Order: sequence, then structure tokens, then C-alpha cells
Amino acid sequence: MDFSEAADRISRKFQKSGQTIDQKKIEGKLRRLIEEFGVQPAEAERSVTNELNKEFNIPLGGSGGSAGSGGAGSSGTAEKKIADAAPGEWVTIEGKIVALAAPASPAIAQSGVIADDSGAIRFVAWAKANAPAMTQGSWYRIESAVVDEFKGIASLKIHSGTTIKEIEEDRALMPATTPISELRPGIGSIRAKVVQEWDASHERMLQSGLLGDETGTIKFVIWKEPGKESLAPGSVYNIFYAQVDEYNGRLSLNLNTAMVMQEEGDIAVNGGEAAVSGAIVHVAPGSGIIKRCPVEGCNRALSRQNYCPVHEIQPKFTYDLRIKGWLDDGEKTHSVLLQRDVVESLTGISLDAAKEIAENNPLGMDEVFLQMRDKVLGRYITCHGREIDNRVLVNKCEPVGFESEKHTALLNRAGGAS
Amino acid sequence: MSTPSHEMGRKDASFEREPARRVFASELRECRYQFKDGEDEKSPTFVLLPTGERCNRVFIVGTLTEKQRQGDQNMFYRGRVVDPTGTFFIMAGSYQPEAMQQLAKIETPAFVAVIGKPSLYRKDEASAPMISIRVESINIVDKETRDLWVLDTAERTLDRIEAFAEGTGRDVVKAKEQYPTIDPVTYRKIAYDALSQVKI
Repeated sequence: MDFSEAADRISRKFQKSGQTIDQKKIEGKLRRLIEEFGVQPAEAERSVTNELNKEFNIPLGGSGGSAGSGGAGSSGTAEKKIADAAPGEWVTIEGKIVALAAPASPAIAQSGVIADDSGAIRFVAWAKANAPAMTQGSWYRIESAVVDEFKGIASLKIHSGTTIKEIEEDRALMPATTPISELRPGIGSIRAKVVQEWDASHERMLQSGLLGDETGTIKFVIWKEPGKESLAPGSVYNIFYAQVDEYNGRLSLNLNTAMVMQEEGDIAVNGGEAAVSGAIVHVAPGSGIIKRCPVEGCNRALSRQNYCPVHEIQPKFTYDLRIKGWLDDGEKTHSVLLQRDVVESLTGISLDAAKEIAENNPLGMDEVFLQMRDKVLGRYITCHGREIDNRVLVNKCEPVGFESEKHTALLNRAGGAS
Repeated sequence: MSTPSHEMGRKDASFEREPARRVFASELRECRYQFKDGEDEKSPTFVLLPTGERCNRVFIVGTLTEKQRQGDQNMFYRGRVVDPTGTFFIMAGSYQPEAMQQLAKIETPAFVAVIGKPSLYRKDEASAPMISIRVESINIVDKETRDLWVLDTAERTLDRIEAFAEGTGRDVVKAKEQYPTIDPVTYRKIAYDALSQVKI
């Protein structure tokens, strides 16, 4: 048997990374594997390449990997755990198809989620790849696929150079759940409680709302699809392999690909309860008395001309009070939104009094803004509420009082070492 | 949930407002070094506090003792705000109409809270740089707010002095370069004196 062709291929690969290898030596290695140990030629080529990679300290999948130049089976891509697959790499993985999703485009034959015991990744099989269809729940060895990144999320691309083999595996995968605060875009598994259910904002939407655990909350959505069921508000679920999407810096969970199992028990949800103290350093326009759209479920703030961005002119608006501003502790500035009863107690101006001013004062609503600004700007307050997207929705607040213990402690601290 | 989700924080997610630093007049007065963070035209400008912290914005509370209208075409107001350690110079021009109107309205003397941006300027080539605060907002407050500010500012100043001593502050190295003759420990005494003036 002639080994020069394969040996030539290998040595050319290494020439690219600046190594010269004796072709005879490569041939010898190949001959030994194939003739002495009965190894398949393609596999022998692969293992010699890997051996040399190791010898020259070239990271696996680095030099030999690209484009699978050695023909089928000799691609030399690195065998990886799913959690270690980084964008830009050619990889070979073994994993279980844990979810299949309806393809979003005719160019896609199949898409879904593949998992091993290290983690999970989304995959896309291009229609052009002519890959065999994979079945949910089965294990496959996927050779020479490419990890790439789309909208910041890693996914595995199955193309025409990829080989897929079903493998005999019957392990049950038990994904490790992640605290909600540590979720990253991609695929995530959580144990969480349904804390809120929102009105569907789209006819294709089955359910949306908020899931929470001890570390925080995240928005979730389920799209209408045969066999999908809504979650029960107040119940706890194990959710495996949900898609974690990112939009405008906010994460949300798409449960359509996920395995969802209801559980016993309860979770003390951390609803992002925050308490921040500091000085009000800015009162933003749009604070004071505002008009809201009266259409059921809308409640948007109207413009001065009573115009709602969705429901147009609304002469029968309702009044509301709010203060939007910045609360600053000298190290960090928090955006705060004070709701009506908080505004009333902080400013001493009730909604009725504000209405009276807005309708009878020559400055109208501006006068309410000015009076409220004069009462809060530059004052020290403590706000309690839920923090969402760096904004604290304040449902309780109180002025900071002078504490003589703190005064004494600071005097000691300042005088102590001098 | 009554607030529609799109209404909150559309663009706030990535935006970080520069915090308003708490600094006594006697420390701010010593600033001689101003720098930009980044090449962009809109990159924020900072003055470097001698205690080793950058400062793009300040929050001060003190007594407005004087105010003065200046200029005809480009009218602006200057004012002096006094804290237990010294004097801040503030100004508000036609680019800050709201602040200028507020300042015009306030009768001296009064306790005021000022939020603004410090910047260095020179009267002419030969003179030493001066620091003044361009007012973003100014408002009348009560004495309790002033006392709270002195506590707050003393605490933040002591924090900075400690971070300076430990070398953990962000701009400590820069401060040592720019202010070789200033020992931040002197501000500990100043903080002590300021605290002592607060009557319980």
C-alpha cells in the first residue's frame, strides 16, 4: 500500500504552520498503524495528525482543522465537550438531541438543541448539507461541524462537510440548573417559579410572564405550537434547555424548545427588591402630573395634546402622578421611577391637589412639575422597590434622617489616626 | 404591572450616568488636572481629585452667599457656595437656562443643593488654573440636608483617603503623578473639622 499521498497531505498541513516534518517518518507512522494495527486509513491519518499536533504544541483543531482538506474522515477537528466549543472552531461532538424546533427558513433542514453532560448548544442543519434527519432523544456523533455566533449566541452549523452518525447511548442527561442571575445568551436550564402572567401581546403568543428564583427574575415566552401548554402562575417548574435570548441588553427565555416539568415545593423569589439611598440629583421631564390613556390595558402616558402612541386622541384621559429621576449615592447613579402614592407622600401634594393646580394655574401641569421638583431635588431619600433594567420602580420611600450615631462614628474615624 | 414594558428603560439598559462625587470645597479647590476618558468628542471630561478619584459631576450643599449677573449679550450668573471647609465657585449661563433661572430666583443667603460639572479654567495664560462648577440644577434645601451632606461628604472623602493609602483607588497613580506635593491625609483633618462644625 502506498502511504505517500496521505503523508504528503499531512506534511503540507504542517508546512502551513511553519513545521517541516520528514515525510518518511510520517509514512512510517501511518504504515505501522494501518498494517500492524489494522487501523482504517482515514483514522490513521487523523491520529498521526493529532500526534504531531501534540508534539509541536499546536492547539487541537488549529492547523489541521480548516476545511477538512484531507478528505472525508481526516478532517482533524477537535473532539470537544459542548461547553468548551467556542465560536470559530471546527469541532466534533457527541450529544443527545434534546429539542427540535420548526425551521425558520427553507434553507434550514433542521434546528434545535443538542446536549451532553457538559452543557447544550443550539444547532442548525442547512438544507444544502443533505444531512440525515436526527430524531429527538437520540444520540449522535457530529464530526467537523462549525461553531459560529449569531446575535451573540453560539450555535453549531451542520454543513455539507459534516458527518453525522447515530451512536448507541442511552444515558439520561440531567442538566445542571443555573441561577437566573447567571444566565447567559444561548441555552439555559433553571428551576423557577411563575411569578407573573402577562397579557399576550401577540396573537401567536400562548403565554408570557415572569419566572423567578432566589437570585432574580426573567421574562419568559411560549409561542403557540401544537402540544404546548401554559404554565400555572405560582407553580414551580424545572425547565431544561430553554433558549436564552438577548434583546437590548435584556435576557428572556423562549420555552418552546424546553423540557418543562412541574415540581412540588416553593421558591422564595428575589423579585429584584432593592433599597437605594442617596440624593435626588435630577428630576426628568415627564414628572409631576401626567395624563394616561383610558383604553383598557393601555395606560400609556399621553402627550400634551392627549395623544396616545397607539390609541390616538383620548379626550377622556385619567390623571396620574409620577417622578422620574436620578438618585445618586456618589458612587453610582440609579434611575428611579416613583409611583403615585410615593409621590404623594414625598411631596405632600395629592393627586387631587395636583389636578386643581393643573387645571387652574396659568402654568398648568408645568406648575405641578416645578413645585414637585423644588420639594425633592437635592434631598436625601431611601427608595425601596423592584429593580428592572437598572431602573428602580419605587413603591416605598422615606427621607434620610440625621443619625447622631453615624456622626459620632465618622468623627472617630476621621480623628482616629491623626 | 400597569407600566407597559416598552416604556421603561428603552435606552437606559447600557447607559451609565456619571455619578455626582461628594467633595469638600477645600479639596476641589486643589484640582489642577483635567482629562478626557476616550477619544470621542462626546467622551466625558474629568477633573482629578487629589484623593485619587476622577470626577465628572459633583453634588454639593452649602450656603449661597453671593450671586452676580454678568455679561450683556451672553448673560450668565456667578455665585459662591460656602461649605465648612471653603468656597465653591458656581456659574450658570444661557446653555443652562433652567439652572440660570433658578439661580436668579434664589435670595442670598440660602442653603442650596447644587448638581453640576466642575471644570478648570485660567483667567489668562499666566494665572493659575481655577475651578468652577457649571450648574445643571440648583435648589433651596433645609439645614438638615446640609448636615446630611457634610456627613455624606466626610464619609466619601475618608473612603477615598483609605483607597489612596491602600493603592486600590482607580486613579491613585495618576493623582500621585499630578499632585506630588499633596498628601491626602490632610483631608482627614479637614473632614474632622467639617464634622465638628455640625451641631446636633
